[in-house]
Amino acid sequence: MQSSKDLTRPRRGLDRRRLLSGLGATALGGSLAGVARADTAHHTVADAPIANVASQLDSVPYLGRHQAGVVDARPANGMVASFDVLARDADELEALFRTLTERIAFLTVGGPVPALDPKLPPADSGLLGPVIRPDNLTITVSLGSSLFDDRPWLASLRPKHLQRMMRFPNDALDADICHGDLSVQICANTQDTTIHALRDIIKASSRQMILKWKQEGNVPVITPGPDGRAESARNFLGFRDGSANPDSSDVAEMDRVVWVGPEDGEPAWAVGGSYQAVRIIRNFVERWDRTPFGEQERIMGRTKMTGAPLDRREGSEFDVPDYVSDPEGKATPMDAHIRLANARDEASKAHIILRRPFNYSNGVTQSGQLDQGLLFICYQANLERGFITVQRKLNGEPLEEYIKPVGGGFFYTLPGIRDASDYVGSSLIAAARGA
Amino acid sequence: MRMSGLVGASALAFILSSGAFAQEASLDLVEPIAEYKIYVSEKLAKLVEDTTAFTDAVKAGEVDKAKELFAPTRLSYEAIEPIAELFSDLDASIDSRADDYEKAEADPEFPGFHRIEYGLWEKNSTEGLAPVADKLLADVKELEGRIASLTFPPEKVVGGAAVLMEEVAATKISGEEDRYSHTDLWDFRGNFDGARKIVDLVRPLIADKEADFLKTVDANFETVDTTLAKYKDGDGYVTYDKLTDDDRKVLAAAVNTLAEDLSTLRGKLGLD
Ligand code: HEM
Ligand SMILES: [Cu+2]
Repeated sequence: MQSSKDLTRPRRGLDRRRLLSGLGATALGGSLAGVARADTAHHTVADAPIANVASQLDSVPYLGRHQAGVVDARPANGMVASFDVLARDADELEALFRTLTERIAFLTVGGPVPALDPKLPPADSGLLGPVIRPDNLTITVSLGSSLFDDRPWLASLRPKHLQRMMRFPNDALDADICHGDLSVQICANTQDTTIHALRDIIKASSRQMILKWKQEGNVPVITPGPDGRAESARNFLGFRDGSANPDSSDVAEMDRVVWVGPEDGEPAWAVGGSYQAVRIIRNFVERWDRTPFGEQERIMGRTKMTGAPLDRREGSEFDVPDYVSDPEGKATPMDAHIRLANARDEASKAHIILRRPFNYSNGVTQSGQLDQGLLFICYQANLERGFITVQRKLNGEPLEEYIKPVGGGFFYTLPGIRDASDYVGSSLIAAARGA
Repeated sequence: MRMSGLVGASALAFILSSGAFAQEASLDLVEPIAEYKIYVSEKLAKLVEDTTAFTDAVKAGEVDKAKELFAPTRLSYEAIEPIAELFSDLDASIDSRADDYEKAEADPEFPGFHRIEYGLWEKNSTEGLAPVADKLLADVKELEGRIASLTFPPEKVVGGAAVLMEEVAATKISGEEDRYSHTDLWDFRGNFDGARKIVDLVRPLIADKEADFLKTVDANFETVDTTLAKYKDGDGYVTYDKLTDDDRKVLAAAVNTLAEDLSTLRGKLGLD
């Protein structure tokens, strides 16, 4: 009981309240210069975007110790695009990283698009008009193990736990939407902005990398309840997703859970980065909609309407289940998703991950069913202890009947771009030259 | 508004799981479940027998004979799939598809019926299939053993009728299950028979109260029967590509409606 409390954020509800009371100011107060919003600190990854609040002027600083787009609140739209990289040596890789940095600096801050001679193709796709606004855009660059493995001059610098995503028993991986040398996670308030950013990056880097796959998704925008409190967004199974996420505004907690530090035994260049696990997980929604309500709740381990734990149905999603008082799983079944994912005992603390998922809705399968699911993204300081361990615990869970992981990959999110003269991945390039 | 929804819905769940009704229903279910267990063991005995003949043919390099035995052998497996799937490791090694593996057909991990199907039809050969055949037979026997000592969970048995329809709806109606041999209509037959068996076993328990429901379900099974009958060929069925678009739509609608209707069967019997 006591230990389970330690794992969560009792204050998150309060933080959200504070956020909302300050909203008026936020909506008006953005600027094109890329100043961080005053509320960012109180808005966590798990929170749903708030309806009618997002502004084109919202911006997240792209400079810092860590890259943006990891512990920042999820805006309504997200995408992961994976590329194969052509670079044959450190110079070429540096050139790619510098290209990416230049585009990140422009797109996330905004400004007028350069006008070219009309006889030439335009510099910009024009999707957003003549002046780009930041629209809360973050662009997060991460590297796959193949980038290292296929290049002898980089191989010795591969982060310790970085590996090709393995097949788990319930997976039906489609090679066309798996792995890659470099992933770009793009998040913004609107889909136009994420698509614009992707097209800009593709145009700018076409000689340096080739698009392999991409998956877009979104987070439902929520209208706060009458008490002003925002809740976690729902996924396509209709459950609140994110309730028990660690508090992404807690710097010490994020240093422990998400960011690689000097003590982690990783190559020195990797400090300040994180492991990114991406999984494209199809949901069999028609079948789910035909599953008894009670069973749905037992499979997930939380109530469907509010997200309250099953041993405190009258509570809220911010309450945590008390497994010590429920050793046989009478309230929360032993094989419920949340119980397997986090047993809330002392040992489980080592396996906390920061989930940052988006719902996706793609089209129709050959069988005439909806192709919908979860673009699952999570970050952790240790891939083995984080995603891989948690997924192993989930193997065989009853939820598997309703989900099918079909794609994704493991990547290492590069440390932050420290200042305007730095570029993403500079520490890796320096290490490669030194090696 | 959301609050009242919650109270209503969870109150309902509570009544279903712990009300007196549930207990009464589970007593009534003892006999149908015992009967179902007999049905499953008969199917399994037949599956072992047929798989032995099928894998013998594969190992003897008799391509034509093996091709002939493929679809009829699967029939008994498909009829009891919801129970077989309780052992997901065996279901995967017996009946998984190339899509479950990253390198698809070329993946060395790709096992079971569909691996052999691929060799027989795409390569017209049994080359390299002997170990796959041995493993398949061993897995099928293992399945028989495990199921013999299994206590059938009532909600899995009753829910199995819907599960069979869900599988047809999700990944069979497209013809992707038996994509090399196109013997999908045989599998459908197995799936429908298995679902209908379950409905028939519990029919007496709901015949009075749910007469309209049973009428609708029977009518949809009827539609399936008449549609499949058009494609009958000897003891079995013609290949899936012969199915007309119109008939495929008729089948798809019947399957979706059956999945929709049969998903309520558990609740009607007090199992949540
Ligand atoms: C489509 C697939 C998935 C769905 C629909 C899903 C849904 C949910 C829901 C509804 C919750 C409860 C609310 C919350 O705390 O966020 C939850 C919790 C959680 N999920 Fe998932 N999830 C999926 C996949 C995964 C995967 C792949 C992992 C990691 C391997 C994972 C790890 C977790 C963890 C760690 C928790 C928090 C448990 C706790 O601390 O109580 N989930 N998930
Ligand atoms: Cu099957």
